[in-house]
Amino acid sequence: MSTERRQGDIELAGVGKRYDDIVAVEGINLKIPDGAYCCFLGPSGCGKTTILRMIAGHEDPTFGDILIGGENVVGMAPIERRTAMMFQSYALFPHLSVRDNIAFALRVRGVPKAERYKAADEMIEKVQLTELAHRLPGQLSGGQQQRVALARAAITGPRVLLLDEPLSALDEQLRIQMRQELRRMQQDLGITFIHVTHTQLEAIALADLVVVMERGKIKQAGGAREVYVSPHDRYVAEFLGGQNVLSGKVEKVNGASLVMRGPKLEGFEVPVAGKTAVTQGDKVDIAVRRDDIRLLRPESAAIAPGNPHLSTRVQAIEYQGYFVKVMLDAIGDDEFVAYVTERDFFSDPLKVGDIVVATWQSDHTLLLA
Amino acid sequence: MRLPRSLVGWFYVSPLMLVLIPFFVLPMVVIITASVLEGDGFGGIMPFFTTQNYIDVFGSGLTFNLYFSTIKFTILTWVFSLIIGFWVAYFLVFHVKNQLLAIGLFLVCTVPFWTSNIIRMISWIPLLGKEGLVNMILQGLGIIDKPLEFLLFSDFAVVVAYVHQLTIFMIVPIFNSMARIDKRVVEAALDAGASRFDIMRYIIVPLSKSGMALGSIFVVSIVMGDFFVVRVMSGGGSASVVAALYEDISVLQYPPAAANAVVLVLVVMLMIGLILRTVDIRREIAR
Amino acid sequence: MTTTVEHPHRRRPTRRREGRPWTFYVLAGVFIAYVLALYGPMFCIYLLSFQDIRGGLVFPMKGFSLHWFNDLFTQVRTGDVKGGFQRSIQLALLVTVITVVVSFIAGLAFRRRFRGDSIVFYLMIGSLVAPGLVLGIGVGLLFQYFGVSPHWTTSALGAQLSWTLPFGVLIMFAVMSRFDRSWEEAARDLGATPWQTIWLVIVPILTPGIVAVALFGFTLSYDEFARTLQTSGSLNTLPLEIWSMTLNVTSPSLYALGTVTTIVSFVIIGICLGTIALIQKRRTQRAATH
Repeated sequence: MSTERRQGDIELAGVGKRYDDIVAVEGINLKIPDGAYCCFLGPSGCGKTTILRMIAGHEDPTFGDILIGGENVVGMAPIERRTAMMFQSYALFPHLSVRDNIAFALRVRGVPKAERYKAADEMIEKVQLTELAHRLPGQLSGGQQQRVALARAAITGPRVLLLDEPLSALDEQLRIQMRQELRRMQQDLGITFIHVTHTQLEAIALADLVVVMERGKIKQAGGAREVYVSPHDRYVAEFLGGQNVLSGKVEKVNGASLVMRGPKLEGFEVPVAGKTAVTQGDKVDIAVRRDDIRLLRPESAAIAPGNPHLSTRVQAIEYQGYFVKVMLDAIGDDEFVAYVTERDFFSDPLKVGDIVVATWQSDHTLLLA
Repeated sequence: MRLPRSLVGWFYVSPLMLVLIPFFVLPMVVIITASVLEGDGFGGIMPFFTTQNYIDVFGSGLTFNLYFSTIKFTILTWVFSLIIGFWVAYFLVFHVKNQLLAIGLFLVCTVPFWTSNIIRMISWIPLLGKEGLVNMILQGLGIIDKPLEFLLFSDFAVVVAYVHQLTIFMIVPIFNSMARIDKRVVEAALDAGASRFDIMRYIIVPLSKSGMALGSIFVVSIVMGDFFVVRVMSGGGSASVVAALYEDISVLQYPPAAANAVVLVLVVMLMIGLILRTVDIRREIAR
Repeated sequence: MTTTVEHPHRRRPTRRREGRPWTFYVLAGVFIAYVLALYGPMFCIYLLSFQDIRGGLVFPMKGFSLHWFNDLFTQVRTGDVKGGFQRSIQLALLVTVITVVVSFIAGLAFRRRFRGDSIVFYLMIGSLVAPGLVLGIGVGLLFQYFGVSPHWTTSALGAQLSWTLPFGVLIMFAVMSRFDRSWEEAARDLGATPWQTIWLVIVPILTPGIVAVALFGFTLSYDEFARTLQTSGSLNTLPLEIWSMTLNVTSPSLYALGTVTTIVSFVIIGICLGTIALIQKRRTQRAATH
């Protein structure tokens, strides 16, 4: 576990996986720095678990290279890669006690009993399971099982820990608690964690690097705030949520901004922000954060003429505690929702059926690819 | 690096094949071969092709009588063991609420399986015989004044012995498939207004079909292949296909016996094939 | 019957969930009748085997002694019961060991599909349902063809395996299909070699299934008759001895033999279950004492 041997940086170079005729992963490229907490995020069947299993060595890529610490590990056994995996339902050995489960990796490499139990006990203490060391996995709660799985994976001193949907077997409250514990463990161990999930909240709460996937391809990889606030395209924006995605046509391009018009939307300016080659007449998607939307009564004087605004109707209202989710008439096929802070909403409560004007600052509009 | 999957599979089944080929495939080939050769009447087989053995088998009225009687026993045994097996399994799974008790009672049903079949069959003799317990009791109660003759050494006794031996083969697989029925499915059906008869018809019977099929395979193949129970329990009054086959063997008539055997194997395979058509046995076992 | 008799079931006919439905009582009756029919006859012969020298094949019981047990093992006319016992137990143990090992390995293969797996599967079904005597004759003829004389350790062993192995593989097949593959992957992930994975993970987790295969293997062999008849050679196994006794012995010796074989069966089951219980106890004890 010494730092100089760690080298837990990972590079996927054109890695792909094909099962017969089905392409599970399409030649992806990605660099994960050493010591990062990286989350692969996507719906089931998007190939995220396949990537994890290829890094772990439980599956061989059809093509491409996987480099860990600069060394190509394709074809190596998991233990040679110095990776360790935490399985989806933990896969704890049901016939072994907590201590024997954790000591398993040392047992198979022939570490003498006293020595391996000493190491296991240290690890047990780290995950706060000392009282339960002699229980069988069947006698533990979900959260305790997860800690055993974590300890069992960590005892080999891996440079990369791979977690396959580690929180999916837990209930809501425990999930949030274990989320923190995972992050703490990662910081303690100081090694690279790769975590696969389909829950965007989990990903953005934990990760330094979020990798959003769709159908075997990487859609966007970046920091949590980056993917949430600046989604690259419609798919990422919709999958991460919190954004309204609208489509429209480009009316005019003038340097750093363009004028766009959409159904129900009068022409308004959108910052181009480095996005390339958009020409007049193109169909484009934009995203607007739901919490950037202001809802005003039609007669309100606060409607700024320069900002985009559209007249719409309240369709449904959901109280969420610290904010209120107001669902408005869809624009074309696109859902349109505003998150209004609790205080603002109740200063002038809206009702279902009310006609409102939705508006936002034009420089809060994000042009999508 | 890693071997292709099929090769690994065949590597793992190779010990099994090392038994099945010399002790199932080859013996069958030998029997098929012997069935088209001539015998010398002294246990020897001569390398001359003939279809006479089959002509004799199909030409003899005895063959049809034998099949008729064997299939009759098979059907009777199948029906009784299925009915008893189904209701016993149903009782244990759905009526005994305490699961531990249900498993205990299930074990009570299976224990005799671990004892000798022959002994279990013989054990009917002191009960069903002319001076047996049943006759003694019935006479003692004054229900009959002469001992019932049909109880032992009769077709009745044969069926009793079969059902006694083979119901276990029905109970175990049916119990297994019923135990895997999600009890909430039954409750959902009750909520939907299904009567108990509907539940039986639409839920329990379809979902335990695989168990019934598996049990039927055992019962049918065992009764079709038996010659021992028929011989002892019918007192020589009835015969079966295999009993006749055994007679041929005892007088060293191998080729006619082989032709008989081939026909019998085909008939059994046909029956098993029919059962297998009703259910994907492989998927059901792995479920 | 007067109306004043208060019957709890009649008084609250609407609360169906409280009491048991009438079918419970009917089926309980069926069940009890079945169990009585299952055990009754067997207990009769166990009882009748303890008669004294005057005893016959039917009730009433005449006296009480171990005469017929003595008779069983000493008299010439009852055949070589002792030898039959020895051979049957040895053969059954041999069959059990081979069945367990081979079924376990074949079970490993059947966890995933491979090219030609259906051929193996239906070959097994065929071997399972083939009439025993037919198979025995085939094996006998095969040995004759190759000029090898049949013996209980060769031809009978093979003939019995062709029957116990399909059973064993089907049980392993069912047991292993419920085995979570990620246990194996976890073991591999932690650096276990394939052998270590089998010995430290798969075998211990599958122990109940393996014991079941062993019990089946032993019983099926110990009781096998039709396949053994033409393949055992000059020396008989126990079921063959019983068979010849049923044809020419008409004394309670026959029943005594039934009692003895049953006791042997139960001793074997007892040893098997006891072993499991011991393993379980060790496991929990180890967990408790540390």
